[in-house]
Amino acid sequence: MTVTDQSQNSTPTRRSSAATGRKKSSGRLMIFGFLSPTLLILIFMVAYPIISLISYSFYNFSALNPHEGYKWVGLDNYTYLLSDKALWQRFIFTGKFVFVCVSLQMVIGIFVGYQLQKKFKGRDVIFTLLMMPMMLSPVVVGFLWRYMLNSEWGVVNYLISSLGLEKVLWLSQATPALFAAAAADTWMWTPFIILLATAAFRGIPETIYEAAEVDGASPAYKFFRLTLPMSAPVLFIALILRLIDSFKQYDLFFALTGGGPGSSTETVSFAVAKTAFNYFYTGEASALAVILLFIIIGLSMILVRHLNKMGEKY
Amino acid sequence: MTRWIILVLLAAYTFYNLGPILWLLISSFKGRADLFAMPPVWVFDINTSGYESVFGVGAAAGTASAYGVVDALINSVIVSTSGTVLAVFLGTLAGYVCSRYDFRGKGDFLFFVLSTRMLPPVAVLVFYHLMFARLGLADTRIGLVLVAIFANVGLATWIMKGFFDGVPKEVEQIAQVSGYSRMYAFIHLVLPMVRGGIAATAGFCFIFAWNEFAFASILTTTKAKTLPVKISAASGATGIEWTQIMSAGVVLIIPVLIFFYLIRKHLLMGMTFGVLGRS
Repeated sequence: MTVTDQSQNSTPTRRSSAATGRKKSSGRLMIFGFLSPTLLILIFMVAYPIISLISYSFYNFSALNPHEGYKWVGLDNYTYLLSDKALWQRFIFTGKFVFVCVSLQMVIGIFVGYQLQKKFKGRDVIFTLLMMPMMLSPVVVGFLWRYMLNSEWGVVNYLISSLGLEKVLWLSQATPALFAAAAADTWMWTPFIILLATAAFRGIPETIYEAAEVDGASPAYKFFRLTLPMSAPVLFIALILRLIDSFKQYDLFFALTGGGPGSSTETVSFAVAKTAFNYFYTGEASALAVILLFIIIGLSMILVRHLNKMGEKY
Repeated sequence: MTRWIILVLLAAYTFYNLGPILWLLISSFKGRADLFAMPPVWVFDINTSGYESVFGVGAAAGTASAYGVVDALINSVIVSTSGTVLAVFLGTLAGYVCSRYDFRGKGDFLFFVLSTRMLPPVAVLVFYHLMFARLGLADTRIGLVLVAIFANVGLATWIMKGFFDGVPKEVEQIAQVSGYSRMYAFIHLVLPMVRGGIAATAGFCFIFAWNEFAFASILTTTKAKTLPVKISAASGATGIEWTQIMSAGVVLIIPVLIFFYLIRKHLLMGMTFGVLGRS
């Protein structure tokens, strides 16, 4: 990934003309001193675990008794996992979940964010209130929705039946459970999109709209031809963050459905946790974690590359 | 006409957004019987037993369940505050260097730092679980603080870099011409200029550290449990302790809400700087 920011293009020349030998070495000292603590922590907490994880994934062993049965099995963990139909089910479920909730969040978030950029009385208070779902712990969100979606005494079914519609068994059927989880995730994270979208929309210079108004542009034209393209990089970052976060979603399902009914709402993350910490098949869990890791890193690299291209365009 | 459609849609979203929050608040004051009343009751006797058990006061004082929750609240405060302070400190240093200097591998460093946001917690957890046990970090606050730093330092570096990019480089140049060291310029001139940015970064990191669940749930067993973990444990063998969960949810959101309102202006700026700085 390349780092491009506007200020850098002009600086090297400016700095090299000003820099003397003494300053250069003090600069190197500053870079080293300021970066090494972060680098050390990340090597210890990220690089080292990932390398160990990859090596674990070639072994068959359990964290319960790490010294016994530590057996090299090569790629067996991977071939077993990839031929496991249940795992494919989890990938399909995760994909459906990601698609439903991310598209809902983007559409609602952009719409509400666009409306909130207009100044009106009490906007700051309303804005803060609307951000509340995002501030809650995902576990609380899961339990709260589980409470509201209970088929017998939940308030959602009460509202549905008072509208004259039939009650839905939200959490005990596979498809409604998917939508229940998507509704909870959308509830929690749409505010994040609103936050980013509002920030992006406010960054667009007023003069551009004024010029468009002089030319007699319609509101729809202004939104689709000016606002959206000009805030595309920020919105794309929002999309990337939400795609990655919902792909690795675990906490919400832990509290909301517990993976049920059956194992129909188990995401891939959930499967890793279950294999590692309920069954203690550490080798197999490592292999699954490596697969998940590669998918997410691959996905984000593609998206980030696209983002950089976008940055060049605008 | 379009105006009305927009208003109706906005009202619908506001209902969807605020309804559950309101319901959380109402339910947190309900006793057992009122919680499960069908149809739901709007007028009821206010029951604070959930809050009492969260803070370990009143009827819940000294009971086994209350003890654990108060402890968890203290753990949550200690872990997320120190994790936030350290992550923001490291992120500020790294962000400053990345904003001001060109050095080999800078792009790789920034991507590596950002990749902590992409890592699924469960993936590294498989390893942390073993490593923490070996190093004696399992079920300790220090272990959780380490996790909080690692989970937030990437975000902190990126947002802070954005804020530093917004400070003109002439600040340091003038300081150096006037005979001050680069370090002096950083501490006494540049840092005060990005105070708002530091506040915003701290706000974000605090929200994530305060609500973190996946790591804490697996790396703690008794002593170092944080409040989100304790809440999930309230769904134990005796059924789900709804009142306690709802009250704990309200207690958990209050500090974040206050923090968010105080830093709301910087937050918006932080987001645009952080992301627009690159594009």
